[in-house]
Amino acid sequence: MNIQDFVENFSAQFDDTDASVFTADTRFKELDEWSSLTALSIIAMIDDEYDVIIKGNDILNSDTIQDLYNIVEKHL
Amino acid sequence: MSQLTINNVRIAGMSACVPATVEDNLTLPIYKDEADALKVIASTGIERHHKVEPGTTASDLTVKAVERLLQDMGWEAQDVDCFAYVCTSRDFIAPQTACILQDRLKLRSDCCVFDLPFGCSGWVYGMSIVASLMSHGTFKRSILVAAETNTLNRNPRDTAVRPLFGDAATATALEFDPERSRPMNFVYGVDGSGYDAVWAPYGGMRNPVTPEAIEEKEVAPGVYRRGIDMIVNGMDVFGFAIKQPPRSLKELIEKFSIDVESVDLLLLHQANKFIDEKIRKAVKIAPEKTPYCLEEYGNVTSASIPLTMVTRCREKLTGSGEQHCLACGFGVGLAWASMEFYAGDIKCSDVITY
Repeated sequence: MNIQDFVENFSAQFDDTDASVFTADTRFKELDEWSSLTALSIIAMIDDEYDVIIKGNDILNSDTIQDLYNIVEKHL
Repeated sequence: MSQLTINNVRIAGMSACVPATVEDNLTLPIYKDEADALKVIASTGIERHHKVEPGTTASDLTVKAVERLLQDMGWEAQDVDCFAYVCTSRDFIAPQTACILQDRLKLRSDCCVFDLPFGCSGWVYGMSIVASLMSHGTFKRSILVAAETNTLNRNPRDTAVRPLFGDAATATALEFDPERSRPMNFVYGVDGSGYDAVWAPYGGMRNPVTPEAIEEKEVAPGVYRRGIDMIVNGMDVFGFAIKQPPRSLKELIEKFSIDVESVDLLLLHQANKFIDEKIRKAVKIAPEKTPYCLEEYGNVTSASIPLTMVTRCREKLTGSGEQHCLACGFGVGLAWASMEFYAGDIKCSDVITY
C-alpha cells in the first residue's frame, strides 16, 4: 500500500472533480462534489482495494486523504 | 457455528399488501433540484415507495394480506396453528401485536401466536423459527407475517432515510408436508457492537420518552430528527452490508455444499441496489437470477424478501418446477441470516393495495 495509489483510487470515486486536484493533503470534505454518496464509494473502494472495512467515524474524523490512509494502513 | 436444517415443512402460499399512496423520489421536496434526486436514484436504484396515511399501521396492512392469503389458499382462519408477526413498528408498547391480530383475524384461541421484533433479517429468522416449531409435526399450518411501516418510525425531514424506506406487509403460509418438502438450511450472524448503526435511541426503558425526546432537531444541514425516530447511520450500515452478507452466503454455500450453478433465485433483502449488487457479485450469481423490487417499493425491511417473491417471482414460484433459492436478510441489530430452500407450486396472490 502506498499513498500515491491511495490518492489515485480516492480521486477515481469523483465524477466532476479533476484528478489533478487530489493530493495527500487534500481536505476532501471541503470539495464541492463531496457528499454522503461519495463517502459510500470511498468505503467500497477501500474494501475492494485493501480489504478493509472502515467505520463512518473514520471518515468523520479524517480531514485529509492522508488521515484516512493512515487509518486504513493501521488495519492492514 | 450456529447452523440449522429443518425438514418436513414447505412454503405453501404468499401474499403482500402495500399502502395505496406512492411517494416519488424524483419530486421529493428534500432535494435542491432534479439532478440531485437523480443522483440518489441512480446509486440506490430506489425510484419510489409506498407510504401509509396517518392512522394506518403495519397490522392493518397485515390483516389485508392475511385475509387474502387465507382466501386464495382455501384455508380457514381456524386452520392456523401458529402465527408469527415479524415487525418493529408494533401497534402498542404492550401487548404484542400478534395477540390483537389473533382476534382481528379470528384465529383460534389455542393458536400459538407471537411477535418477532426483527428488522431486515426478520423474514429469514422468522422462517427458521416457525418452520422449526412446525417440524415437530403437530402444527400443520402456520402463517409468518413480515410487515413494517418504516415511514412512521422515521422522520420525514430526515433526508438520509426518506428516499430509501417504504411500507408493506407480507404473509407466508407454511405447511407440514413430509411428502413434498425439501430441507431448509440456515446460518446466522450478529454483531451487537453495531447496535447504534440503525436504532431508535428514545422510547424504550434505557432512554424513556421525555419532552426533549420528541423535540425535532437539525442534526446536520437539512437533516431533522427526534430522539424517538429511527436513525440510520448510512456509512456504518454500508460498511457492514458489503462485508457480512457475502460472508454469510458463502458460509451457507460452504456448510451445506451448495452448487451455486444450480441456484435459480438469489433473494436479497432490498437494502439498495449498490449494496445488493456488491453482494450478488461476491457470491457470483447471475443478474437474471437476482430479482429486485426496490425500485418500486424501496427498502421495506423484513418484508423485502417476501415482497420481492410476490411481485417479481410469481410465475416461477407458482409453476410446478422447483426453484432452488438462496435468501439473505441483513440489517438492524446488527443481525443477519442466510437460508437455502426450494419453492414451487406455491399459491401466490397478487399484491394488494390498501
